[in-house]
Amino acid sequence: MSRATRPAELFAGYLNPRRPHAGAYDEMFDPVDGVRTAYKRLHDSLSPLRPGDLTTRSEALDRALVDQGITFSLSGQERPFPLDLVPRVITASEWSRLERGIVQRVRALEAFLADIYGGQQIVADGVLPRRLITSCEHFHRQAAGIAPPNGVRIHVAGIDVVRDEQGDFRVLEDNLRSPSGVSYVMENRRTMARVFPDLFAKHRVRPVGDYAVHLLRSLRAAAPSGATDPNVVVLTPGVYNSAYFEHSLLARQMGVELVEGRDLFARNNVIYLRTTEGEQRVDVIYRRIDDDFLDPVHFVPDSVLGVAGLVNAARAGNVVIANAIGNGVGDDKLIYTYLPEILKYYLGETPLLPNVDTYRCWLPSEQTEVLDRLDELVTKPVEGSGGYGIVFGPDASPKELQAQRRRIKANPRGWIAQPVVQLSTVPTKVGERLQPRHVDLRPFAVNDGDSVFVLPGGLTRVAIPEGSLIVNSSQGGGSKDTWVLAPRASGVAELSGSGLGAAAAADEASTPEHGPELNVAQQQQQQ
Amino acid sequence: MKWRLRVVHTTGYRYEGAVSQSYNEARLTPRSDDRQNLMVARLETVPASRAYKYTDYWGTEVNAFDLFTPHTELKVVAASVVETSEQAPPAVDASWADVKSPESLDTYAEYLEWTAYVPKHRELAAVARELRKGHTPQETVLAVSKWVHDTLKYQRGTTGVHSSAVDAWQAGEGVCQDYAHLTLAMLRSVGIPGRYVSGYLHTKPGAAVGETVVGESHAWIEAWTGDWWGFDPTNDIPIGHRHVWVATGRDYGDVSPLKGIYSGGAATAIEVTVDMTRLA
Repeated sequence: MSRATRPAELFAGYLNPRRPHAGAYDEMFDPVDGVRTAYKRLHDSLSPLRPGDLTTRSEALDRALVDQGITFSLSGQERPFPLDLVPRVITASEWSRLERGIVQRVRALEAFLADIYGGQQIVADGVLPRRLITSCEHFHRQAAGIAPPNGVRIHVAGIDVVRDEQGDFRVLEDNLRSPSGVSYVMENRRTMARVFPDLFAKHRVRPVGDYAVHLLRSLRAAAPSGATDPNVVVLTPGVYNSAYFEHSLLARQMGVELVEGRDLFARNNVIYLRTTEGEQRVDVIYRRIDDDFLDPVHFVPDSVLGVAGLVNAARAGNVVIANAIGNGVGDDKLIYTYLPEILKYYLGETPLLPNVDTYRCWLPSEQTEVLDRLDELVTKPVEGSGGYGIVFGPDASPKELQAQRRRIKANPRGWIAQPVVQLSTVPTKVGERLQPRHVDLRPFAVNDGDSVFVLPGGLTRVAIPEGSLIVNSSQGGGSKDTWVLAPRASGVAELSGSGLGAAAAADEASTPEHGPELNVAQQQQQQ
Repeated sequence: MKWRLRVVHTTGYRYEGAVSQSYNEARLTPRSDDRQNLMVARLETVPASRAYKYTDYWGTEVNAFDLFTPHTELKVVAASVVETSEQAPPAVDASWADVKSPESLDTYAEYLEWTAYVPKHRELAAVARELRKGHTPQETVLAVSKWVHDTLKYQRGTTGVHSSAVDAWQAGEGVCQDYAHLTLAMLRSVGIPGRYVSGYLHTKPGAAVGETVVGESHAWIEAWTGDWWGFDPTNDIPIGHRHVWVATGRDYGDVSPLKGIYSGGAATAIEVTVDMTRLA
């Protein structure tokens, strides 16, 4: 790609040098060489379109979403789930680097969690301060000594990554508790395949529709050793939970029961499911309930969402809770800053995927710098998600900054700060034109104990308002289908949209009754 | 010289209606260390249950048991025989610099934390700073314990299981749990790591062998001033033969002797009895 491509009408004014965050990496256009390889075919397909065509396609997309029942509510109003019509493309080699980095991270975090809930050797060896662990809100002492049969605690991870100004992937945060959003990955793909069969015909896009196969394999592999045909269930807080759609989709695709806490009970440290045919022993619980509500004996005593006796049943090795209790100590944003040490200690490796530069407010010297530069930094609570509690220095009023300064001083352990990362941009439909909009990416990794599978794709979230770096759908964000291209000579390629969950698609299209709320789901999951 | 003590602790609940299911954890088994040697321990419940034993994060032995037969009363009897001796005076008397060194702060961070039972309180901290003047950390522990002993009046019924150190201080009275929490709040405010000890107290200093006395489910504190050592602020006495320890933690919440979840009507605690017999 040495010849700059003359921008088509759709892209008029796309690379306006006066646009906000002009230094951000645009994933389609290189400022010197024009269209990047990854996007060449997509660009060629889109360029001949005229602004009116785009709107026609976009309306078709919205209709397809409404047909499938994919809506989310924003301020109480049902709207089509905002899926942008331009996919996000990742080349095979970019993906392979990203995948290796994610696998490395999950392996290190598994070793870390096993150690923290076991002998805490990393603390004894003086690599990490003890206080770093004991002061973590999600270090659950109730989980000390619980050893899962196949050693896996992170059955599913969502590793949030962004591309910096150089186009390099960096990890923004790890989500090791109940990362949500994979249903949107699958649903976005189905919708795109319906509306743009021609685009899929021109690309070798790796499939995402078999996620549930990998998840089920991981859950079955986690079962207690006595279980020859493990009974797996999905535990949901219920229909009023904003991510209920995802819980039911995963249960259906795995062919396992979707249960609520009241359907289960413990007797002599064994968990049973009440069915019309009597009691059924349960071996593995894929739970989408936060730790605090999982077992009233050990956590919030008046919770009715969980199962009394569950923690000790897991301790006795009779049931496996996936993801494990207490994983939050591994995705705390202060502990995140120690990931290079953690990787070196357990794996003897250096990070394949760097973190975003982060200041630790609990270290006095770094706190001073944070407080001095509060107006140019992004400050974030070490736990929590969905963009809640984040203060964006450049956008905050002096009064807000003052309030934030007080919060940090009152609880330095609770805050980290990062420079504003100018997330990469991808063309996104805005009005009749395509405009650069900032994106992030949440790939999903599934650990079955033997290997870590990373679903080729992930949830790309896009900030719709011009110049916005906040991708949460509560802030008006949308999503994009994420295309990981197959390597040129590979057999795993998928040539068209036809195989994209076609078998599963037929009976699912009309089923979802509850509009998924992307933002709320992430808030609930506290990731 | 050692004492050999038999402890028989009976506790439980009475329910308004029949309870068909309950899940419980008992932390009632004495532990062993330099000063105390556990010889035998047994836990029984009525109705009968099968206990699942494990050691928790704090090193406490936990007996977890579930009940599935309808019952209107749950009785738990924890019996043990332990040998006890006087606590040797603390070997080290660390300086304030040692107690507040970065290493100590990191190692004992959990025992300097504020909790719901042991909250931060400006006035209490001011009193503790006053008591500290001219004293080593070790002397300060004694001074604070004495102050708490002199300030609170031992009185049942004013405070409850969820009362904090500040609640008891404001009420001016409380029980051993409150004495321990208040002492911890003040020690932590001047930077001395402190932990809550749950156990039993034999109530008769000169008891004869073979004599059974009414003992108490008791609580006291341990402080770190170069080493961990205990003191009993409720009675303003050092830890001796009459103290049998079961568990330590940041506060009562970590060592709660009996807790559980059940389905059914309101529960009232049955009368707790602790019989302690000096065997040797």
